[in-house]
Amino acid sequence: MRRNGVFAKLFSLVFALFMLAPLVVVVGVSFTPEGFLEFPPSGISLRWFRAILDNPDFIDAAIVSLQLGVASATIATAICIPAALAIGGGRFPGRDALQALFLSPLTVPTVVLGIAFLRFLSTLGLNGTFWGLVFCHVVIIVPFVLRLVLASVVGLDPSIARAATSLGAPSLTVFRRITLPAIIPGVVGGWVLAFITSFDELTVTVFIVNPATTTLPVKLFSHITQTTDPLVASVSTVAILFTVALMLVVDRIYGLDRLLIGEGSH
Amino acid sequence: MAILELRDLTKRFGATTAVDHFTLSVEKGEFVSLLGPSGCGKTTTLQMIAGFETPSGGSILLNGRDLRSVPARQRGLGIVFQTYALFPHMTVEENVGFGLEMRKVPGDERRRRIAAALDLVHLSHLSGRYPRQMSGGQRQRVALARALVIEPELLLLDEPLSNLDAKLREEMQLELRRIQQEAGVTTLLVTHDQSEAMALSDRIAVMQGGRLIQEASPFEAYDRPTNAFVSTFLGKSNAIDAHLEETRDDGAVLRCGDIRLAGPPSPARPGPVLISLRPERIELCDAAAAHVSGRVGERIFLGDQWLFKVETSLGELLVVRPNSGRREPEPGETVHLSWRTEHLRILAAEPAA
Repeated sequence: MRRNGVFAKLFSLVFALFMLAPLVVVVGVSFTPEGFLEFPPSGISLRWFRAILDNPDFIDAAIVSLQLGVASATIATAICIPAALAIGGGRFPGRDALQALFLSPLTVPTVVLGIAFLRFLSTLGLNGTFWGLVFCHVVIIVPFVLRLVLASVVGLDPSIARAATSLGAPSLTVFRRITLPAIIPGVVGGWVLAFITSFDELTVTVFIVNPATTTLPVKLFSHITQTTDPLVASVSTVAILFTVALMLVVDRIYGLDRLLIGEGSH
Repeated sequence: MAILELRDLTKRFGATTAVDHFTLSVEKGEFVSLLGPSGCGKTTTLQMIAGFETPSGGSILLNGRDLRSVPARQRGLGIVFQTYALFPHMTVEENVGFGLEMRKVPGDERRRRIAAALDLVHLSHLSGRYPRQMSGGQRQRVALARALVIEPELLLLDEPLSNLDAKLREEMQLELRRIQQEAGVTTLLVTHDQSEAMALSDRIAVMQGGRLIQEASPFEAYDRPTNAFVSTFLGKSNAIDAHLEETRDDGAVLRCGDIRLAGPPSPARPGPVLISLRPERIELCDAAAAHVSGRVGERIFLGDQWLFKVETSLGELLVVRPNSGRREPEPGETVHLSWRTEHLRILAAEPAA
């Protein structure tokens, strides 16, 4: 491996600080005893964490976001596994078009997507419903899942499935016992990335929620447009903790390097 | 009785014909190699036997049964893939046991057969390992055990040694032959490596451009190639353009430019021919006994032997001499070459391209 020079190290350090700084500020602010956004905090207090419990709409929004994340990530993964196996498995007519279709949501500005979904769901009478939200999130996160699952599929030796077939395994058994376990790092990585993307999504979601289905990002956004109390900071801190915990668990089981970079998966 | 019979097997991809009316039969217990350069159709042939490709024509019979309507998973063949294709998330034992599990072999018998197969390939001590924890040679043995444990009627080997380094490859050749004979399994090997095919096989089928060129024992194919391609593909050979002037019962008269050579009796008709002469059959001799003389151009030391490139009036001739510790000619030196008449092979001239 090539050793990095001093400047490269310095650059990485500065870049890491730049990325972490906002998080440090948010976490710092959340511990303030005061009633306004203040950094550095003048003291340490859990006041604004207790305040979360007094605001059940935040908890409701978090539950909606969790359910939405799990439902849309799972559906997107279920769609992307067969798609990735087909696209990564070999050439066939329309293969490039299929791949372009799956990745196209990445290329459309999210604001445009939001407006389009609003019209679309209104026409269908699904506007503001939970499953309407799920549908939209699936469309947004499918490219992320497909990319990661596809990376695993492309690295897969096609002879492995053939070996299992020659040993007498029916195609469903080949998938369940051989192919799926071999691509599971990409599948789990895709699911996690999809969940986080969905949990975090604001731009599109803000167009299509109603008060009953408000997600956490939308709730935070609307709260901060009305008041400037540190409640948003404490809610954000809890969300950060939750994400970190999720990442740690996944890292323990599969290794984040392998999932997100794809290195050392063989 | 033939275990495997290929009759006029043909495979076309669009306008190209990968396998062209290929006919071959493999007897019970026999080790047969399909040998040829890449793109000669040998791998496609294997894929069709395995059931991963559908033939465009002809038939494949296994024990007299037509395989056309039998899907790959029901053919019951043992296959060792070039990449070994071990299941990465399973231990050695689970890999080897997979085929038995699919056949619903009960636990006790399954364990017994896995143990026997691992014993055969000398890997009993590694049964709990994962493929990634093993060397190339060990993975190769696991792949063999996995293919053999289902007691296949036919074992297919797809370039099984090409991913190993040279030294290990030689060891595994001997090992592969031992395992094949101990298991007594009929085997078809696909390879582009002529030394592998010669070391392992009872019979070699040389393929070129989708066709069967020659089918013979390794010795016969090497010593009596029936065409120029086989003579140069199997080992090294000097190919000399010549003109066949006359054939008699006791020999032939050949002319190369100004030089007249005696050849063995040949069924070939007078006209342009190709002479094949193995480099190790050429001897150094006195000027008086020489068929041809020349100047040593290059001399290459190969450890157990010397390779000379000698510029003669027949063209550049390769000469191989065993390294027996004696003095060998230096580059630039004039040498006199001779050979026994029966070592010349008279082949049909290559058609002008």
